[in-house]
Amino acid sequence: MNCDEATNLMDGYLDGELDPVTSQTIEQHLRSCRNCEQAYETHRVLVRSIGIAAPYYKAPAELRQRIQSSLREEIAERPMRNVAPDAQPLFPRQQPKPRAVLFGTPWNWLSLSGLSLAAAIIFAAIIFSNLAPQLRRPGADQLLATQLIASHVRSLMANHLTDVASSDQHTVKPWLDAKLDFAPAVADLASEGFPLIGGRLDYLDNRPVAALVYQRRKHFINLFVWPAGSDVAKAAKTITRQGYQLLHWADSDFNYWAVSDVNVNDLQLFKQQFETRTPRH
Amino acid sequence: MHFLAERTDQENMAGPLKVDYAFDTEDLESSAKIVKFAILKKHQEQDAAQEHELASFEETMLPHMDAAHNLAKWLLRNEEDAQDVVQEAYLRAFKSFGGFHGSNGRAWLLTIVRNTSYTLLKKNKAVDLTTTFDEEIHVSGHDSVSPATTLEHSENAELIREAMDELPADFREILALRHQEGLSYKEIADITQIPPGTVMSRLARARAKLREYLAARIGKE
Repeated sequence: MNCDEATNLMDGYLDGELDPVTSQTIEQHLRSCRNCEQAYETHRVLVRSIGIAAPYYKAPAELRQRIQSSLREEIAERPMRNVAPDAQPLFPRQQPKPRAVLFGTPWNWLSLSGLSLAAAIIFAAIIFSNLAPQLRRPGADQLLATQLIASHVRSLMANHLTDVASSDQHTVKPWLDAKLDFAPAVADLASEGFPLIGGRLDYLDNRPVAALVYQRRKHFINLFVWPAGSDVAKAAKTITRQGYQLLHWADSDFNYWAVSDVNVNDLQLFKQQFETRTPRH
Repeated sequence: MHFLAERTDQENMAGPLKVDYAFDTEDLESSAKIVKFAILKKHQEQDAAQEHELASFEETMLPHMDAAHNLAKWLLRNEEDAQDVVQEAYLRAFKSFGGFHGSNGRAWLLTIVRNTSYTLLKKNKAVDLTTTFDEEIHVSGHDSVSPATTLEHSENAELIREAMDELPADFREILALRHQEGLSYKEIADITQIPPGTVMSRLARARAKLREYLAARIGKE
């Protein structure tokens, strides 16, 4: 191998993208040619410094929000609801005519037989869907659980555990109140072994939610709070997924989801303490 | 249609048929309710399916948002454009997510980000799309600064950024993909849609040009 050939292949060699044989040939050449060896060394340092010194433009936090809401808009605008228009023409708005006339024409007779056929199909569909409601409900919860875990993991991954870092509930609560259209209860549970770390805004279940961050020894607990859909209190239930514990309960005002990698007992204790310290209205 | 044509004979037909079919309108209304209920159920199922698709898309693609933004920013050199392009790319990716079966979500997303960025660059008539036009133009100061001096400054982030920003788009992108994303030649070839054999030579030219620009900047100081 001569110097020109070696120079031409230098970048591939540097990047470890050459086949072993060619790689070895270059290595031999570099060992025997001082000029090429020096050129290679200079090139190597420069190339390495690109990776080190060139700024990496991380996405700003608001971009995630923008993307997530634009994806949800996209779903909302999808013209997927083409079941309805087919069913609609089966029901020409009934004029208040005498019954006899209403059913007295071949036209009505035909639409009626179509109708009974449609009704039969729909009855079958309803019976089927009622037979399998157990399959669907958990689906929604599982989906939410996935979102909750993802949000919990993300909060620990990036440098974004809290938007407002404070162990003072009187700092965290007003901050959240100002950003949300609801006012979640916030309590510092330091004396119970769950110090408050701070609060964060998050987006779950298609709405902005409050995330309260607590610590348990070396572990973090994200407590997600948003207004309850109904004012029926729900008993606590736990889900375990991917090594994370999720504890869900609801009172007359709010939905609560606590997510953490602490054990179930700790999470139950956390719920208990949280409820004791945040009096119901 | 036949039965429509006969509608004018309504009165004549009314007599015999009313006896045979003694339906109540209440039956009709309750059927209507059932149909509406079924449609509602159908919608809920569709919503759940869409929610599921969205969740799986976000799980696969959102982790690559930094990579997407970084590439767009290097290509467009403008924060606002970069964010618009990333958002647009995510929308495009979501629309064709059904067709994505690969395992390399990052490469797939970056391909879309790159294409979207070029569309915008072309629309803005950016003149630096390819390298051919200026290979020989920017050669000043290279010889006056020794490699050792260049190296001394090579970890100066600001200097590297300025020099890199001066490069044509295809050089900026290949340097970002290789040095910041650590992608293989094969992945780079897929994303930039060039033959795998071309990746090494383009990288070599991009690095040489960067070094030249760096030397020029250092020479000016």
